[in-house]
Amino acid sequence: MSLLQVDGITKRFGGLTAVNRFRLDVSAGEIVGLIGPNGAGKTTVFHLLSGFHVPTGGDIRFKGVSVVGAKPHEICRRGLARTFQIVQPFVNLTALENVMVGAFNRTEDVAVARERAAEVLEFVGLGRRRDVPARQLTLSDRKRLEMARGLATGPELLLLDEVMSGLNPTEIETIIALIRRIHARGIALLIIEHVMRAIMALSQRIVVLHHGETIAEGPPDAVARDPRVIEAYLGSVP
Amino acid sequence: MTGDLLLQAAVSGFLLGGVYGLVAGGLSLIFGVLRIINFAHGAVMMLAMYATYWLFTLLGVDPYLSILITGPAFFAFGMLVQRIVIEPNRFAAEHNQLLLTLGLALFLENLALVLWQGDFRTVRPAYAAASFVLADALVEVPRLIACAGAVVMALALFAFLRLTDVGKAIRALSEEPEGAMLMGIDVRRIRAVAFGIGAACVAVAGALVAPFFYVAPDVGESFNIVAFVVVVLGGMGNFVGALAGGFIVGLAESLGATLLPGSLKQLVVFALFVLVLLFRPAGLFGGGHGR
Amino acid sequence: MAADAGAGLVLALLVVVPPFLPPYFLEILISMMLFGYLGAAWNILGGYAGQFSFGHAAYFGIGAYTSTLLFLRLGITPWLGMVAGGALAAAFGLFAGYLSFRYGLRGPYFSLVTLAFAEMLRVVAVNSKAVGASLGLVIPTRTPAPGDFVFAGKLPYYYVILAMAVGAVWITRRLETSKLGYSLRAIRENEDAAEAAGVDALGMKLRAMALSSFLTALGGTFYAQYFAYIDPTITFGPAVSIQGMLQAIVGGAGTALGPLLGSFVLTPISELSRAAIRGRAGVDVMLYGLVLMLVISFLPHGLMGALPRRPRRPQP
Repeated sequence: MSLLQVDGITKRFGGLTAVNRFRLDVSAGEIVGLIGPNGAGKTTVFHLLSGFHVPTGGDIRFKGVSVVGAKPHEICRRGLARTFQIVQPFVNLTALENVMVGAFNRTEDVAVARERAAEVLEFVGLGRRRDVPARQLTLSDRKRLEMARGLATGPELLLLDEVMSGLNPTEIETIIALIRRIHARGIALLIIEHVMRAIMALSQRIVVLHHGETIAEGPPDAVARDPRVIEAYLGSVP
Repeated sequence: MTGDLLLQAAVSGFLLGGVYGLVAGGLSLIFGVLRIINFAHGAVMMLAMYATYWLFTLLGVDPYLSILITGPAFFAFGMLVQRIVIEPNRFAAEHNQLLLTLGLALFLENLALVLWQGDFRTVRPAYAAASFVLADALVEVPRLIACAGAVVMALALFAFLRLTDVGKAIRALSEEPEGAMLMGIDVRRIRAVAFGIGAACVAVAGALVAPFFYVAPDVGESFNIVAFVVVVLGGMGNFVGALAGGFIVGLAESLGATLLPGSLKQLVVFALFVLVLLFRPAGLFGGGHGR
Repeated sequence: MAADAGAGLVLALLVVVPPFLPPYFLEILISMMLFGYLGAAWNILGGYAGQFSFGHAAYFGIGAYTSTLLFLRLGITPWLGMVAGGALAAAFGLFAGYLSFRYGLRGPYFSLVTLAFAEMLRVVAVNSKAVGASLGLVIPTRTPAPGDFVFAGKLPYYYVILAMAVGAVWITRRLETSKLGYSLRAIRENEDAAEAAGVDALGMKLRAMALSSFLTALGGTFYAQYFAYIDPTITFGPAVSIQGMLQAIVGGAGTALGPLLGSFVLTPISELSRAAIRGRAGVDVMLYGLVLMLVISFLPHGLMGALPRRPRRPQP
């Protein structure tokens, strides 16, 4: 079942075209990787999907309904959650309170939200940190906290924006395992990542973005061998 | 008859607008470099006006000449205030920095109230009442001088920003803080200098308006509000925009006073403020930092 | 928590001791409670939602003028007029809030716009003969009439404002443990991240604004009935806005007890300074300015932030 249909969206900022006729389909339960050199427009795509930017052209349909012009919280309500490239925790709230905010997306009841948040914190492995103020958490913990907050909103599709950046290899392994557990719960994932081995290992399908346009799409090993992709990352092959 | 009245108002308002532009220019500069909205701007102007008053009353120094004293003095004062009060808190949350300058404003305004009480004082040199007629409009000489002086000061500042190393450093820091630091610019010093220049601007403005305004602890408040309006209108951080904005607000305020009864003219300025903030936050001329 | 036990003790004293206090001290206590109350009302929007309004005087004034005009012109008891004032203030708050939030005003820009709205109301009031213009309105309070919010002596007024202050703290506590409370704090911390997590930032901020402005207006009615005189500068002027804000910030914005704690500290400072330097207006506000600068510099979370905190227990 198709969850997300991105239908040729374009985003212009003044004279700069950041995203150009981008197309994407994500089905329920899929893991799709989104890669490309810096400045390719990947995070802009996330902003467009989550309602922080409005596309200059094109349409975005989530579960069959157009979400263009919808506010971020409305899109979240529908079942699309995201993390940010630079983690954005609520620093003066505890880990539990951070995740509760997300849990309120599905309930009005404080006790229910607290229970759900606690469960999600356990799931991501932060159970013992639940009463620690977010400002005291390490980067790795903050990344997991942000994922927990997204998970607590009860999404069907989770957008992860470079969750592994700044992490050491052990921490990366932890995140990879966590992503697999999330996937096992039936949640679809669209992942922006620069850690190549991780995204190759996790993705069922990879889309490569360059200068705002898709230059390749397909299974990981096919994309890795695609000369256009190699050229985009390394410059032209002499 | 209304035509004459309107012309009169336009002339008066336009001339005062020059001073508004200078005051706002200082505020804009401070915002550009330090990224704070200086609530104490009007209070510093008030202090400068008192300085002008005392120099005139006790020592007979002509207000315009006193600029030679108050200008540098308040430049130093501004640098000192920035170093002691603002710089230590440069990493504080935005709203906290605003509160900091609010606290400073409250402190300075009420210090003046405690020291000199609330009575209006005036600075009236011999030429204070001088005026001449120009095409059916009465032009008051002090206002004309104030406007001219403000424009000269603004142009001097503009040249300073364009041509001197310090000026370029200020512009660099406004546009690209991290890049400026990487280029070896002494950021701390520039921040202090920027605040000092802002203080010097209002010191000059204060001396220029003293001959036709009143001096009291609350005189800064009205200039404060107007300065905010002008800066938003001209674009936060846009020095030239502030000057143009000053003339616009001066005109609007004065015409408003003619057309609206009582003190409703103030509504014009506030309404303008709200409208620009809501609909053109980058200012009428763009180039501002928006919301 | 230690602060709670302390607060309970203080409350007991506040209830029991005042009948034995001389009028001068009672006056100070009333001021203290009123400013603490206004601080608590401001705190809902400022401390919890993180939207620092510099123009809460707008709601104070609307409350004061509404109940007073209804009383003077139509004989409606201020107890009802209070509610009407609150409703009107909430409506204005929603209007101003909607404009500001809808057009994305945040941080200092929001603060300035709220200041502008309050000043506009002040200018309108000054120029309206219908509301007494600059001369203001006097409330005849010679004959006590509790049904009309007119009491003999100060003590009844004290208990009214004490009840209001306690009520405001109670409301804040309830807010803290509600979905709205969590949402507001998320917005305060990071509005974009909150939106991404499903928080309707605009809707929540408007709710906070409505509650905050409603409560502030009630304080305006109290002021009118207690002091029996209002004018545009007293009610719509920046002084009231700053007073409310100051208690919350010094005491600890975003905490339930902060505003009252701030008021306990600031009011004596104000009184003592004015007593020490007689005949010189402005000493108290000058000190306020100094205190504000010191608090921002050294105690950014206010006095509550300086209190020793035990590790947090899960919320009830």
